[in-house]
Amino acid sequence: MECKFVPSVCSYCGTGCGVIFQVLDGKLVGTLPMKTHPVNEGKLCIKGWNLHEYVNSFLRLKYPLVKTFGRFIKVRWDEALQITADRFKEIIETHGPDSVGVLVSAKITNEENYLAQKFTRAVIGTNNVDHCARL
Amino acid sequence: MKNKIKEWLKSGQIDIFLGYKTLQGHPLPHAFGKDNLEDIDTLITGSNYYPLEKIATKLVAEKPDIKIGMITQDHSQRALNVLYIWNQLDPENIKPLKGDGCSSNLKEHADDSHREAGKSGQFKKQFGMNTHASIEEAEIFAQQERFQRWMYEFQKCIKCYGCRNICPVCFCKQCSLEHSNLIGTGSLPPEAPIYHLVRAVHMAGRCIDCGLCEEACPADIPLRLLYRKVNAIVTELFDYETGSRLDQSPFSIIGESITLKLKPIAAA
Amino acid sequence: MTNSITEIEDAGCIFVIGSNTTACHPLIARRIYRAKEKGAKLIVADPRNIQLSRFADVAVNHRLGSDVALLNGMMHIIIRNAWHARDYIADRTERFEDLQSVVAAYPPDKVSAITGVSAENLERMAKLYATNPPAALIYAMGITQHTTGVDNVKSCCNLAMLCGNVGIASGGVNPLRGQNNVQGACDMGGLPNVFTGYQPVSDPDVNKKFSRAWRKNLSDKPGMTITDMVPAMLDGRLKALYVIGENPKLSDPDWNHFNHALKNLEFLVVQEIFLSETAQVADVVLPAASAAEKDGTFTNSERRCMRIHKAVEPVGKALADWQIISKLSTVMGYPMEYNSPEEIFDEMAALTPKSYAGMTYERLGLNGLQWPCPDREHPGTPYLHKNQFIQGKGKFHGIEYKDPAELPTDEYPYFLTTGRMFAHYHTGTMTRISPHLDIEQRTGYVSIHPEDADKLAVKNGDPLILSSRRGEMEAPARVTPSVTPGTLFLPIHFGENPTNVLTNAEAFDPLAKIPEFKVSAVNIKKLRA
Ligand code: SF4
Ligand code: SF4
Ligand code: SF4
Repeated sequence: MECKFVPSVCSYCGTGCGVIFQVLDGKLVGTLPMKTHPVNEGKLCIKGWNLHEYVNSFLRLKYPLVKTFGRFIKVRWDEALQITADRFKEIIETHGPDSVGVLVSAKITNEENYLAQKFTRAVIGTNNVDHCARL
Repeated sequence: MKNKIKEWLKSGQIDIFLGYKTLQGHPLPHAFGKDNLEDIDTLITGSNYYPLEKIATKLVAEKPDIKIGMITQDHSQRALNVLYIWNQLDPENIKPLKGDGCSSNLKEHADDSHREAGKSGQFKKQFGMNTHASIEEAEIFAQQERFQRWMYEFQKCIKCYGCRNICPVCFCKQCSLEHSNLIGTGSLPPEAPIYHLVRAVHMAGRCIDCGLCEEACPADIPLRLLYRKVNAIVTELFDYETGSRLDQSPFSIIGESITLKLKPIAAA
Repeated sequence: MTNSITEIEDAGCIFVIGSNTTACHPLIARRIYRAKEKGAKLIVADPRNIQLSRFADVAVNHRLGSDVALLNGMMHIIIRNAWHARDYIADRTERFEDLQSVVAAYPPDKVSAITGVSAENLERMAKLYATNPPAALIYAMGITQHTTGVDNVKSCCNLAMLCGNVGIASGGVNPLRGQNNVQGACDMGGLPNVFTGYQPVSDPDVNKKFSRAWRKNLSDKPGMTITDMVPAMLDGRLKALYVIGENPKLSDPDWNHFNHALKNLEFLVVQEIFLSETAQVADVVLPAASAAEKDGTFTNSERRCMRIHKAVEPVGKALADWQIISKLSTVMGYPMEYNSPEEIFDEMAALTPKSYAGMTYERLGLNGLQWPCPDREHPGTPYLHKNQFIQGKGKFHGIEYKDPAELPTDEYPYFLTTGRMFAHYHTGTMTRISPHLDIEQRTGYVSIHPEDADKLAVKNGDPLILSSRRGEMEAPARVTPSVTPGTLFLPIHFGENPTNVLTNAEAFDPLAKIPEFKVSAVNIKKLRA
């Protein structure tokens, strides 16, 4: 049996409260406020207290999907990545890199945002990268 | 003490030991297992930070045969007693290791050291309820004023449900606080004072005065004082101090109804 | 935020404008409560009666979109009474005259006429703010989501500098970020014109540095913002879009418009944790890990970069976004071989000298560090502009008030504003499937004042049809005095009542490109059963 307490940060708003995820046998079973965290000092709002719930939702995406004739079909990662890469390359070749745009997110980590803009700038070759926080 | 825990784990008397361990300067709850006995050397003791009894209840619900060792300070022993009485936990599942240090006034010389001194600001003292007030101090105010002061406190509530979520003895599957016929949903603050009174009433004969709810309250509402008052009434009427003994609570659930046993007149 | 969350507790005065803090940033609201209880003065200016208004020394409902006028009016009074920080202004700022000449034309009676706030309340607000230092100004999307968003922000800065509140503990100008890592996304260069740490793509030295580090010649031409991308999709300049962790179909200001734009794309890739509204129309959907399923860092509103730790394995075949991007990049012929987010962090920190350079995972620990943190010994920066503004002198801007793009007319007589409610987050993809949050609020609604409700004979729960120049939608009424007569409020979280059917995409701030979500003109009708 595995029972763990993993410190993390709430991702439901820009306050950034410290939380502890309670893990039982590889499954998230609860969220607790971190008592000694400088931001929230052991308190959370309703969203923070229920942070683990969306992670376990049955609605989570579990496989890469590709739309064929208007319907999604499950594919393997290598297929999904190959299709994506080919389409991007094709569009870049015919219309130039500035015909591609990337929207990064306020929900993903710093590292991932860094990589996403690096990908846009170095791999696609455009500065068309923005986040949705204006919205 | 640490050797004893190692013993217990090695001999299979317990499956895990629930305690605390410091991670990068922060004391966090930690489950010590038999696979890594050296780990026990990092166990820290002292204060109640997290509702370990509640975590234990959750674990037992998932794994009915589990044996959990834990340090039982006074309030935590009281929490366990309440959970036993209400059939949420079986004493078979818990192996207590006596500890001390308690922040409750149910015990003489309570250790309040981990709680911030002078927590209540001037304004709060003037218009709200002083967090550190005793029941007697809170009763100095005339009824009307007292009500207004409590209402000031309740208006701050951000409906986080933290008071319920962290409480070691809150275990109802269907929480009345989420009953939309009782308390309106979707707006802030929650309906005052009903939201808080519903919880207070439900804590009668259950609250073991651990103070975790108040510490978890983002609005600094002196919840503990509120529940103490409710419990004082229970003590007065029923001669029952919550969690202090293992015999039946005056609130025993038989089917759907709750019966109360008044204390003998002679004892009053 | 120029200052830190904990510092708010020790402010002498807190001015909250355009932020429903107890609902949207509850753990910041906590600090406001505590400040108040320690004796701070509290001013709340919001078009609605929010929970914080109940605790305010002065609470006003200024007319939607009249923020600049309100702030200019306060500054007018402050200067007239000589409550401004003259030494501070002389030493640390420039172009005070610009401000002075503009706000001179905003006497209380005029401001009162524009904002609907009484002259008496204006005087009280100005006095409380100016005479109880340090004063912290707190705002959120109620300030930024306007055609005059940048003007609003500049006016906030004007006010704070006027009273010497920038560069001191417990003061400052404190925008609260709506989404958890907006700060980080911007810091990391998730913007069309800058690399990490706001280093301009057009700066030759910077561009050379990144080109060398990434072994690729990089474009120095700033790219398109999302607001530019939509018309570009419509006229065919933008052919492909890669959306990572966002649901713009629901968050874009004009649903119809955006829908058209998406249909025009040749290729849409969406990387998400749920099959969001946007993912449903994608050509390829890549399943991403949630925040509990990966390592990394987030940066909160107070610039505190904090570690998140992987607690569980991703569901199904989902992968962390950093892994997906690395793999995709590798397939496209640009190998990215990172073993962990820590390696990515170190690469980023090395390229971001002024703000993140001093951070390592080890140093972050569980408390995190607040940037700027330029070197390994630097303890981080709780508040900005201490002793000196980062840009040298603080610059005042004389800002004239402009009406919002839409004002109520005979045909559309109501003001509509949008926002969040306490139990949900953004477009609701994460919170609405969370049982305990769903219980709190299952459906969308529109808040309407009892007076207006009476006029239309509308009761709580009656379905209403809302229409604007762009479209119409239906939502049940919630009759509540939390809105003022003539104003309606719609929460943004509910896909079946999409607010962006009504809001105005044509109207956005010319500089920040932030759409005016906070003001549109609508009409309401009772839906007959
Ligand atoms: S717990 Fe609430 S206040 Fe804290 S970060 Fe999460 S959503 Fe924000
Ligand atoms: S003090 Fe609060 S948390 Fe502790 S038992 Fe009583 S109600 Fe529950
Ligand atoms: S913890 Fe405090 S703020 Fe949260 S629901 Fe309970 S009383 Fe309200």
